[in-house]
Amino acid sequence: MTASSSVINNRIPAGVLVLPKSVSRRVQAAWGIVGALIMLGIWQVVAMAQVFGTAVPTVVATFAELLSLLGTSAFWSEVGITVLISLAGLTFSAVLGILLGILIGTSPVIRALSLAIFEFLKPIPPIVILPLAVMVLGPTWPMAFVLVAFGCSLAIVMQTASGVQDTDPVALSTARSYGMKALEIKTRIVLPSASPYIGTAMRVAAPTALVITVVAGLLGGAPGLGKSIYQAQAAGNTDTLFALVTVLGLLGLVFHAVSTWTEAKALHWHPSHREVSL
Amino acid sequence: MKSKLVLIILGVASPLVALGLWWSVSETSTNSFFPPLSQIMTRFSDLWLFEHFQSDVLVSMGNLFAGFLIGGLLGIVIGFVLAMVPLLRWMCEPTIHFFRGIPPVALIPIVITLIGFGSEMRIANIALAAFFPTLIAAMDGIRGIDGSLKDVCSVYRLTPTERITRVYLPAAGPQIFSGLQVSLQVSFVVMIASEMLGSSQGIGAMTLLAQQSFMSADMWAGILLLGVIGFLVNIGFEAIKSRVLSWHLGSKRLERAA
Amino acid sequence: MSSLLTDSTTISTTRPGSEEPLSTTTTIPRLEVQGLAKSYGSGAAAAHIIGDLTFSISAGEVVCIVGPSGVGKTTLLKCLAGLHPSTGGNIKIDGKEISGPPAEMALVFQDYSRSLMPWLNVRKNLELPLRHLKLRAAELEERCSTALNAVGLAGAEHKYPWQLSGGMQQRVAIARALAYRPEILIMDEPFASVDAQTRFELEDLCLKIREDFGMTILLVTHDIDEAVYLSDRIVAIGSKPARVLEVIDVDLPGPREQIETRALAEFAQLRTRTLSLIRQEQA
Repeated sequence: MTASSSVINNRIPAGVLVLPKSVSRRVQAAWGIVGALIMLGIWQVVAMAQVFGTAVPTVVATFAELLSLLGTSAFWSEVGITVLISLAGLTFSAVLGILLGILIGTSPVIRALSLAIFEFLKPIPPIVILPLAVMVLGPTWPMAFVLVAFGCSLAIVMQTASGVQDTDPVALSTARSYGMKALEIKTRIVLPSASPYIGTAMRVAAPTALVITVVAGLLGGAPGLGKSIYQAQAAGNTDTLFALVTVLGLLGLVFHAVSTWTEAKALHWHPSHREVSL
Repeated sequence: MKSKLVLIILGVASPLVALGLWWSVSETSTNSFFPPLSQIMTRFSDLWLFEHFQSDVLVSMGNLFAGFLIGGLLGIVIGFVLAMVPLLRWMCEPTIHFFRGIPPVALIPIVITLIGFGSEMRIANIALAAFFPTLIAAMDGIRGIDGSLKDVCSVYRLTPTERITRVYLPAAGPQIFSGLQVSLQVSFVVMIASEMLGSSQGIGAMTLLAQQSFMSADMWAGILLLGVIGFLVNIGFEAIKSRVLSWHLGSKRLERAA
Repeated sequence: MSSLLTDSTTISTTRPGSEEPLSTTTTIPRLEVQGLAKSYGSGAAAAHIIGDLTFSISAGEVVCIVGPSGVGKTTLLKCLAGLHPSTGGNIKIDGKEISGPPAEMALVFQDYSRSLMPWLNVRKNLELPLRHLKLRAAELEERCSTALNAVGLAGAEHKYPWQLSGGMQQRVAIARALAYRPEILIMDEPFASVDAQTRFELEDLCLKIREDFGMTILLVTHDIDEAVYLSDRIVAIGSKPARVLEVIDVDLPGPREQIETRALAEFAQLRTRTLSLIRQEQA
């Protein structure tokens, strides 16, 4: 009995029970590819059967167009300017948002003064002020930049402010008792403790910035992929239209992945990210 | 106590003061971009409360709710199915994530080339935009349901319908609602965008038209109306959410207090 | 497999101090577990959680399963409740083999906070398992109020679980099981996460339920004092894989009482005997 149980003992790691995963990630990914191929197949059939007339190009035509786009410098400069506007707007929003957020979070008076206005503005998407921006700035990149800044900074302000208010009072009084100066407290204590909030806000804001840049191009004529999509649609160039939207989908995934990865890297010390690594 | 009162007064006063400032400073404005607020308000009531209320305001709102409801409901139902059927989920997940990456507004030109410029196009676009956030939230919410709740269902032999309506749906409720909230915001954006892109009806179309014909007071009136709608729709949603999820919010409050 | 089976049968039939060996009981036991085995995976990589488990419980008995932690008690309960299919042996209720969760059984989970529905108030939590029974309104009312009275929660019907203390939540979970009127009540370390005073109260509640409702109760615990205090018999389980070490009769006089029963010399003896069994197994 003892002998047999000790043999079995060796097979099971003590304490931790590792159940064999019924299906591995690899198998799941394989099914994902199968699924994607089926969707592409449906697309191809729908296009070839001309269910929507000639409005839907075939998969082959779309990817051929995509390949030829990849070879043109015009395409790359459009991708470049789209990414640049998004990142510039995002960076501006981050700086402005964090500064304002700390101000609002630490001063009850400023908070009271701004709360109602911010609460009103928060659910209003930047597309609402797009006509105004176009009227004042015209179909230019500064117009797109302003829209991105309007659309991203508010959430960062609000998140930073609640992060600041959430600062551990014990840490604050400890810092004061050590005679730290106000500025030092803000940079050494308040900012780090608000950083998970800021990280979350930035992760959400990054894909949003891309979306707003595209909207500014599509509806306001700002340079970039949005404008190209508008032109492709207006000219009835469905191959290009589908190829460009595909590019946007990929770009969106990249923005999403990079922002998630950056947040996890920058906040690796925070409990919510430690759990993820398990 | 006294300082708290001061803060509340400040909070109420600040937007009023801001509006007052806007009114008085703009009153003598001759800048064609920034007309007097009084003029904007006159156009606001002329346009939106009378002339275009039925033809545009009601139409826009109707499209918004129809599209949001269709997309949201489909998102919940399909999210449910995908959460329960692993094979189907594995097959669909990469495609779903790809579609999630596409800005919903960028799909509008495609839908326009497919089905034209009518109301169906706008509803279809809004539904498409509302679909993905709710789909992903519902899927995650249902997959995240605690195993012991499922065990309770089995031990007490709940019927499949009871499990779905009385356990799984409420358990995933908080996540479904946050998905729906994102869906609603995206729906609102797409409502405006679909009207701005080649349509002659709706608040978005009117506002863009006003801008293109340099009728800046009309444009401002449109912006104000859209802003107010965005704000009110969100408030309405919050009200419904806090009713439906009162149990969740209550338990979270207690948890924080502890 | 077969040699192991005889092994454990030998243990249960020759256990010291028993007048009546299990295997020769003439009446059909309410719950009978024969050669139960459970493993995950297959081949060399297989994890054997339950090796070969045989025991039975007669109607109206309180039986505790005790064993060192990590022995697979929760897996065992999930098999008994029909939540996990076993990979060997069988489980019979009143002589009928079960497949899937049996109607005669209710389970009280260890983690009350995760087994009650936070969106339902106490009353609705009790009613949830009863809906598909299509009871008349009067009977539904009677079952719920009886159950709530029994656990001392009359008047808390409209509270939500998260508004109650841990002990009260576990009472709600017990009340839900009572309102379901099972013949067999299985409890998975039900008192593990409540404070000591509440624990005593809930233990006595458990004994009272047996008296009032005539239920057969199977309880899993790692607390040996609790097992001795509550049980008619204790099934001591050894680990890796789980198997019956010994079935110990607890012939303490009833009704049991927290202070007096625990002060009895027999109590101490039974406690020592069970503990040394478990200790030996762990070493």
